[in-house]
Amino acid sequence: MPRDSLITSENDSEQDADLSLQEEHESKTHRTKRRDGDRQKKKRRNERRKGGTRAGEGEEDLQAISEKRERSKRKRAKSKQETSRRENNEEEEAQLTGGKGTKARKDIRNEKTRRMEKEEVREVDENVDKGKKKQGSTKKGEKKEDGGKQLVKEKARDIKKKKHKKAETSSEPETSEEDDDEEEDNDKDVVRPECLSPEELEKLKEAVDERKKLIQSLRGKPWPMKKKLVTLRESQEFVEKYEGALGKGKGRKLYAYKVLMTKKWMKFQRDFENFKTACIPWEMKIKEIESHFGSSVASYFIFLRWMYGINMILFGLTFGLVMVPEALMGRPYGSMPRKTVPRAEEASAMDFAVLWDFGGYAQYSVLFYGYYNNQRTVGWLKFRMPLSYFLVGVGTVAYSYMVVIRTMARNANESGVGDDNSFNFSWKMFTSWDYLIGNAETADNKFASITTSFKEAILEEQESHKDDNIHLTRFLRVLANFLVLCCLAGSGYLIYFVVRRSQKFALDGLENHTWWERNEVNMVMSLLGMFCPMLFDVISTLENYHPRVALQWQLGRIFALFLGNLYTFIIALMDEINLKRKEEKVVKFNITMWEASLYNGTVLENSTAPPVTIHPADVPRGPCWETMVGQEFVRLIISDTMTTYITLLIGDFLRAVLVRFLNYCWCWDLEAGFPSYSEFDVSGNVLGLIFNQGMIWMGSFYAPCLPALNVIRLHVSMYLQCWAVMCCNVPQERVFKASGSNNFYMAMLLVILFLSTLPAIYTIVSIPPSFDCGPFSGKNRMFDVIHETLESDFPPWFSKVFSYASNPGLVLPFILLMVLAIYYLQSTSKSYREANVELKKKLQMQNEENKRKNKRAALKAQMDLEEARKTAQEQQRNNNASVQDQEDDTDIHVSGQNPPPVGGRGSQMPSSRDSGSRTHDRGNHGPSGYLPGFARQTEPRMYRVPSLQRH
Amino acid sequence: MGSRASRLLREEEIEEIKKETGFSHRKITRLYRRFTSLDKGENGTLSREDFQRIPELDQVNFRGFMRTLAHFRPIDQDNEKNKNPSATEPLNSRTNKLLFAFRLYDLDRDGKISRDELLQVLRMIVGVNVSDEELGSIADRTIQEADTNGDGYISFNEFIMVLEKGNVDVEQMMSIWFLH
Repeated sequence: MPRDSLITSENDSEQDADLSLQEEHESKTHRTKRRDGDRQKKKRRNERRKGGTRAGEGEEDLQAISEKRERSKRKRAKSKQETSRRENNEEEEAQLTGGKGTKARKDIRNEKTRRMEKEEVREVDENVDKGKKKQGSTKKGEKKEDGGKQLVKEKARDIKKKKHKKAETSSEPETSEEDDDEEEDNDKDVVRPECLSPEELEKLKEAVDERKKLIQSLRGKPWPMKKKLVTLRESQEFVEKYEGALGKGKGRKLYAYKVLMTKKWMKFQRDFENFKTACIPWEMKIKEIESHFGSSVASYFIFLRWMYGINMILFGLTFGLVMVPEALMGRPYGSMPRKTVPRAEEASAMDFAVLWDFGGYAQYSVLFYGYYNNQRTVGWLKFRMPLSYFLVGVGTVAYSYMVVIRTMARNANESGVGDDNSFNFSWKMFTSWDYLIGNAETADNKFASITTSFKEAILEEQESHKDDNIHLTRFLRVLANFLVLCCLAGSGYLIYFVVRRSQKFALDGLENHTWWERNEVNMVMSLLGMFCPMLFDVISTLENYHPRVALQWQLGRIFALFLGNLYTFIIALMDEINLKRKEEKVVKFNITMWEASLYNGTVLENSTAPPVTIHPADVPRGPCWETMVGQEFVRLIISDTMTTYITLLIGDFLRAVLVRFLNYCWCWDLEAGFPSYSEFDVSGNVLGLIFNQGMIWMGSFYAPCLPALNVIRLHVSMYLQCWAVMCCNVPQERVFKASGSNNFYMAMLLVILFLSTLPAIYTIVSIPPSFDCGPFSGKNRMFDVIHETLESDFPPWFSKVFSYASNPGLVLPFILLMVLAIYYLQSTSKSYREANVELKKKLQMQNEENKRKNKRAALKAQMDLEEARKTAQEQQRNNNASVQDQEDDTDIHVSGQNPPPVGGRGSQMPSSRDSGSRTHDRGNHGPSGYLPGFARQTEPRMYRVPSLQRH
Repeated sequence: MGSRASRLLREEEIEEIKKETGFSHRKITRLYRRFTSLDKGENGTLSREDFQRIPELDQVNFRGFMRTLAHFRPIDQDNEKNKNPSATEPLNSRTNKLLFAFRLYDLDRDGKISRDELLQVLRMIVGVNVSDEELGSIADRTIQEADTNGDGYISFNEFIMVLEKGNVDVEQMMSIWFLH
């Protein structure tokens, strides 16, 4: 029986017997009287309270009563444990509850078990709450007395009076009296008004009425507005809370229902929060990676997720507004030449090799620009297809700009705030463990994440304290930058040279050149892309930067190198476009000839017969350079994706497998030695992602399927890379904390976005579209579609207004205004930033000042302590002659005076207890070490001492 | 288990637990069922085998179990509002939550956290992944940051001060919602 083990103790059982004897005795004599007296007393008290003019007091009491109904148990525990009051309670209980024999006994027993436990706890944490223990110990002594000798009635009355006084300020004791009754049946959380005694109900009702009256008359009260508002809110809450509880039947049901609903609502809110977190895609995966590999690797995955989101929206735009309308409402496949596979290709149009290359049926489908028809409206909705195509093309770019810039601005704000990290390690130490983890795997992850975060913090700390030879570092950095610049310039020239050469070869005709000469550009580019980053990596070790800064430099340098890649690609594309356009001219001429011959022939044969219908597959057609550009981009994306995945599988997975399993039978330690496992290459992956996105932006105008492809690619690589990281990579040697904002990535993305919109805009604006394919065929320029719409779909005044607005006389001032606004905002933000920095500095100063002050105060306290000790000793010596016993007493008082530091009070506890028995004459020498804080505590001892002496 | 729960757990005892911890009747019986299912030895206490992860606890009876859990009860909002200044705090108050956390670090229960204690705890939460030297420097650094009176130990007051300045919401971290 656990209960027995908790309660039994000789001391307690003795007291128990004692008290129960008294109770029985009392119950014989006073049973009825007591109860009546009790009632009367209570009533009197109530009346007194009602009579009080201030509304606040009554309010307080009533609130306490009603609150009691909700949490009477806890309240009771609280009130019982409150030490100074507990004595009173006990005595009163012993007298008042005499009528209810068994219950009272049980109560006292409860009291005792509680005290027992309290003692246990106290033993454990003596030092933490010394004061409590002191009180507890004094009370214990008192308790013994009580057990031995019942107090005189007068004294009891005294205490009761005191209690009444207290009851006016805080309603505590009153509530604790009667909750025995309800506690039995107050099982559920929901309030049960029937548990209340009628008097209490009455009281509650009155209070509610009073509140209502107060609300009505509040307007006329001569109070400040703020007070009025506060009172109004409080009383409204009160009325709302307890009115329902008072009503019978329906009102109470409503109230219970309300309570239930608030609980349900809270639960729902919590669940909803959880749900929201669960809805963030890949959050769990990323957190897991972050815990094992640090925030820098995680930042790549977060960036990847962000990119995925953007591509989803781009995909939604192109798919919903361009591809689906054309597929559903446009003319079907095979109805016109641009929508049919030409006769020559028909045989191989369904071959996998052709489809894989996005030729054949794939080329003549909604996936590419050439398939779209130039009819102004499609379907019964009169959907303006060419306009929509143009606006979506512009919109994707505009949206991307907007998102990137907005994200950058938001990140900049976040990074500006920055919390102070004066307690960095302490917080990590004390708050990193999550006490609510209940799953072994989660705990493992938490271990890893704490370790990583500690490693990151250590690294930060090391970096901030690093002060080597500044001149040497500076020299090395300049040298490194010089070397890198040389590399970049060399590779730039190499690319330029190779491209020029290949152009020359192309003019000669590719057939009469070797394989190397044909593929020179590609080979040079991939070789550069392979070796230059390694070179940069080696050079960057010279610089001795913080790894985060080093990563940024590395990213910037590789970025510059890859720009060359982009340059060659665009040059090649432009050459191709020019070639195709030349071809187009020839084809156009041929077609007019062919048509003329066709019609001539028919006219000659039979003038009345209907014109010969030629199958669209047989109609000759132009090369359609737009589709060619789109195909080029799609092929590039596909091959890029494939290489990424294959290098991932071979470079990471296969390597890891080999290292892991060949290690058993190899000459040296493969895991620790040369090949080892690979680390995750953050910079390479981030740049791959960024350039890939640049390709999407450039090409999506000519191949609406590109965003869809990219979404698939990102989706797959999310899973594949997450798996690869967790399974075949090892954390970096120096795990470092990524900057909170990914703004560096964003800045590079912005540059790429700008660079990739340039060629797209150039082709749209300055090259005329093909004559027989695409939504803009037959127009001089692609943007003519805007003019056309303005003229035919809007009222004439609108186009007039538009033409006025696009007048240079208006546009130029507007641009000037914008520039001025930008300048103004720029300068204000600069000044704000300066002010911010200033404030931060101030705060830090204050913090340090506070710390120093605290330290000084602590030192001073220690000095005071010693001084006081000294004076005490001197006094002791002086007094030694006259009084003998007072040594330890003064000692206690002096040590009690000095608040926190050394566990002095705790260590002197025992002496304080027996000191009481020895010092009868404290009153005489009291002032020497007498302290205001101790006055109350010593008083009871004052009377107690003689009583003990008498024993 | 239900019959056993009612056999072992007396009404009076439930009342006492209710008073001490503030749980409702229903919750106590439900938790008692869980407790008994954890208790493989069937002697009313959880032994070391049952509680392998918690090295301090040699044996826990149901009372102690409930008291520990009570620290993780979320703080009631309205209770906080009209709290009586003279009453003792419930087990789930902020101070008691902090005290609970503090005792996890204060292994020898002397009311202050020493460097050795920090090192032991660090070894527990970081494991073998970090070298001893680094652990030592972390512990030194922690004490240096938190120790305002310069005695080389972290007292409870200093502990509270550190956590107050942080942006970490201790109440949130030490609240299990289903215990509400």
